Amino acid sequence: MWSFYIEQLIHSLPFFLKGLWMTIAVSGLSLLAGTAIGFIWGILRASRSRFVKPLIGAWVDVVRGTPFLVQVFIIFFLLPEFGIQLEAFPAAVIALTNLAACFICEIVAAGIQAVPSGQMEAATSTGLNALQQLRYVILPQSMRIILPPLVGQFVLLIKDSSVVSAIGVMDVTRVGWLTVQRVPQGLLVFGLVAVLYFVICYPLIRISNSMEKRMSAGVTLNKM
Amino acid sequence: MIEFRDVHKWFGELHVLKGINLKVDPAEVLVVCGPSGSGKSTLIRCINRLEPIQKGALIVDTMKVHESKTNMTRLRAEIGFVFQQFNLYPHMTALQNVTLAPMKVRKTAKKEAEDQGRYVLEKVGLGDKLHQYPAQLSGGQQQRVAIARGLCMRPKIMLFDEPTSALDPEMINEVLEVMRNLAREGMTMIVVTHEMGFAREVAHRVAFMDFGELMEIAPPREFFAHPKSERTKLFLSKILTH
Amino acid sequence: MGRLNGRPIVYMSSAMLETFNFRVIFEYLPLFWSCFLATLWLSAAGLLGSLLVGTLACGLRISRFKLLAWIAGVYIESIRSTPLLVQLFFFYFGLPSLGFRMSESATGILALTLNSGAYMAEIVRAGIQSISHGQVEAAVSSGLNYLQRMRHIILPQAIGVTLPPLLGQAIVLVKDSALLSLISLSELTRAGQIMTSERFMPAEGFLTSALFYLIIYYILKGLTHWSQKRLIYMQT
Repeated sequence: MWSFYIEQLIHSLPFFLKGLWMTIAVSGLSLLAGTAIGFIWGILRASRSRFVKPLIGAWVDVVRGTPFLVQVFIIFFLLPEFGIQLEAFPAAVIALTNLAACFICEIVAAGIQAVPSGQMEAATSTGLNALQQLRYVILPQSMRIILPPLVGQFVLLIKDSSVVSAIGVMDVTRVGWLTVQRVPQGLLVFGLVAVLYFVICYPLIRISNSMEKRMSAGVTLNKM
Repeated sequence: MIEFRDVHKWFGELHVLKGINLKVDPAEVLVVCGPSGSGKSTLIRCINRLEPIQKGALIVDTMKVHESKTNMTRLRAEIGFVFQQFNLYPHMTALQNVTLAPMKVRKTAKKEAEDQGRYVLEKVGLGDKLHQYPAQLSGGQQQRVAIARGLCMRPKIMLFDEPTSALDPEMINEVLEVMRNLAREGMTMIVVTHEMGFAREVAHRVAFMDFGELMEIAPPREFFAHPKSERTKLFLSKILTH
Repeated sequence: MGRLNGRPIVYMSSAMLETFNFRVIFEYLPLFWSCFLATLWLSAAGLLGSLLVGTLACGLRISRFKLLAWIAGVYIESIRSTPLLVQLFFFYFGLPSLGFRMSESATGILALTLNSGAYMAEIVRAGIQSISHGQVEAAVSSGLNYLQRMRHIILPQAIGVTLPPLLGQAIVLVKDSALLSLISLSELTRAGQIMTSERFMPAEGFLTSALFYLIIYYILKGLTHWSQKRLIYMQT
């Protein structure tokens, strides 16, 4: 009996790999865009701006305070009411990009604020302008604080991408859900799905952990 | 060179500078002393607008610091600032620390900036530490790199905010020596410090600040021999006994 | 900002108010309320369960028995490297194929508990490690017995350190419980889905769900800030 199901699973393996590719495409695109936007928001959030800072803060709160599934539904079902008709794939990428940007924004802002204020003062007093201070003095120092949690965040976001299967994106979770209707062996089917996620996420977790160790060990020596 | 006209500064409710009037001439060395919280650090931080002032006029090298439209980036390039905590960039070597601003602000070519940087670091006695990171240097060496960082912009004015307060006693002299040489070369300097030996020997005038006011300002000989106000006498008796 | 930006915002919100069907929301309010309570109790059950599982996993992880420590390690790593939704489907479709029949809510709580437990293990470990050896020695040398030490010295400190991340995990659990709607459990997100399918009003449905989630979020966030302040006070 089991060997029969396993054989069926092996037959549908290309289907699963296609799903895995979709998972990688959705998360990859969202992580790229989300990191870029998250850095911009994070820099603004760490700034002294009176208007933009609370605005970003409020938005981050709303996004952090609601389930990602609800956000996906809102973007997929609500935007058409404003005349923006979206396929499942772009809706998924928009939702995940926004989620990524909000979490990364917090990480970046914390990293920037962790740089002692004397650094900014020293850079100011030698005549560097705001952009130059950020680029040559603040960001290089924040990066060591930002990078380990950033990679950890990537893992969370890749896992969150499974949620977009609920609006019909053919990612690996959706493939598992469709397969289990034909092959009624939930443990096998979702065991396989889990393995595919594990293969991507586990190495990233290890990288994040070892980065964290290296960074905290390097604090006193300060060699880059 | 530097002129304060009735300068006031508040931190929220706190009135930290109460009508400062002060004129510093080119090539003059002014030492400012006073108890902590007296506003002496704020006084020099106003000069390159690390702190903005709320009232009065502050003119530095013909530029009006009190006007918000003044291009401070240009003025700051002319003023070297040395901090109590050094504030060296920890991710850069000594040479990178001193060449960053010349390359980015003055757009000096890398080769030229590095030649200049090497020259200045040699001048402060660190010709052999060019490629060390701040964490590999002693406190005194770090502070000398910080002075070199200021000098590398060929400033017209150097400001020192308690440059030796964070140093171990045995390192204070190497930093003061660098500052003495600068004074001898005719640099305009304002030095906030408690090193009264340095004040006596190098300063043209010594000022005493308390409660946000300039209580007294005089040439060192007169300042130490015949302090006029009671508070100056009290302060001097406290710091000169130990 | 008011004069320039005010007008379009007012237009937009009034347009939304016209199309926004508050009557239907009121009609569905009892459903949302019962689903809100369901979300609360599902996440609370998950929180309690995962506290137990997490403590157990942490205990095994640091135990001297290599095999037990290894098993706990595999559990923690594999949970952290796979999505909750996949774990949920694993149990939902997998347990029946082994012959176990469980209700949807039991399956949901099981998945939440096992998922959150892997993260809870880390929180518990940090709590235990926060107590310095000196504290134990001081307590021992002043003659307190084991129970007294636990009750008066160790636990108060450990709970103080653990409370902020625990509340953070509670926020995560509340949001994660939304996934249980996908195995048709009646909770807040499901309420939005029901309203969408019955009346085709996704805006009203999902925004009302979101609003309820935000209420829980802001309460938990407020508690987190309070507990962090208390912690700082405790450490100084």
